[in-house]
Amino acid sequence: MANKRVVKQAINMAMVAGRIMLESSAETYRVEDTIVRLCSSFPCVDYVDVFVIPTGIFLTIGYGDDAMTYIKRTTSQGINLNKISLVNDFSRHFINSDMTIEEAMIILEDIDNECCYRDSVKTLLGGFAGGFSALLFGGTFTDFIWAFLISMMVVYVKSVFLRKFTLIGFIKQFIVSAMGTILALLVVKLGFAPKVDMIIIGFIMPLVPGFIITNAARDLISGDFLAGLSRGSEATISALSIASGVGIVLNYYYSIV
Amino acid sequence: MFYVQQLLYAFLATIGFAVIFNSPKDTIIKSGIIGTIGWLVYFLTQKFTGSSILGSFLGASTVGLLGETFAKIFKKPSTTFTIPGIIPLVPGAGIYYTMLKLTEKELLKAADFGSQTIFVSVALASGIVVSSSVNRAIMKYKEDKSIKNIQ
Repeated sequence: MANKRVVKQAINMAMVAGRIMLESSAETYRVEDTIVRLCSSFPCVDYVDVFVIPTGIFLTIGYGDDAMTYIKRTTSQGINLNKISLVNDFSRHFINSDMTIEEAMIILEDIDNECCYRDSVKTLLGGFAGGFSALLFGGTFTDFIWAFLISMMVVYVKSVFLRKFTLIGFIKQFIVSAMGTILALLVVKLGFAPKVDMIIIGFIMPLVPGFIITNAARDLISGDFLAGLSRGSEATISALSIASGVGIVLNYYYSIV
Repeated sequence: MFYVQQLLYAFLATIGFAVIFNSPKDTIIKSGIIGTIGWLVYFLTQKFTGSSILGSFLGASTVGLLGETFAKIFKKPSTTFTIPGIIPLVPGAGIYYTMLKLTEKELLKAADFGSQTIFVSVALASGIVVSSSVNRAIMKYKEDKSIKNIQ
């Protein structure tokens, strides 16, 4: 019966580790791999089977002539590469040392509460991302200044201001890209910049779903077709919502001018 | 001078993306370097062959391979290096121009830009696919070799 308690704790611990990774948008195979490694490091565990999709984890552990299955539903918390990297380090450390499960749970809780960069830093660097993208695509110095300012605003509204409201991600993207386009058109209308193109391209760049495309491709080649396809459709919808945010405003603007 | 400027812009833009994605503090500069090299490959290919699709493919493969290598060296997940580096290659301009041409009712041009955007995204995805499957093949080869050595 001692085994049962250990397996129960192990399953809980592996689930927390997997949940943190999956909620930070890690690739499917990395989550599966981490859970399998963590669980098989216990001597009383005979076999581990895990199935991960972008919205949940299914985990079965077999021990002796008995088995235990847990299901965990997860909700995506946005992209957090730091947490993925921390859990990765943790699992490597856990396997190579004789850490107890209680200690491991404390470490995992710390990782889960680990916060991201300060809002001010994030906003400023969001401006960097947008402004320098505008320059990369051939913008002038004036374009850079405005793309920088508008990207800062867009990143601030998306990741700080709208965080309080429980909105679907796509609607958030639609709102901020429409807002950015209105600001860019205003800047051009008031005569501060000659053309709107590079400013809009600049502030689009921090929003585009490059991350999801990359993860979808990774999932597809590692054989996780379900995860790959659902992430692929997420990327398509997210690109469409950005495009329609920009497009609707532009369309309205050109029809009244 | 123009090239130096481009590299500097790519570096700073990648750092910006790295912070947006909450990269660990000690990988930000490294992912900036990867992003710069990826952009250089993309830019040169596009300049000499005139194809932004081939450029994106080669750029993404470079970013992917460098990311896997850095992941081995610094013992971090490869995503932390690859993701910020690949974002400058994403066709944000393509999305915008497609939408612009649609609103201007120039449907042929919109279709032109739109298909270009889709092809570039597919090229990015295949670049990632190529780099990670090469990495897997190398890892498998090494594993087999070490098993043989033990036997």
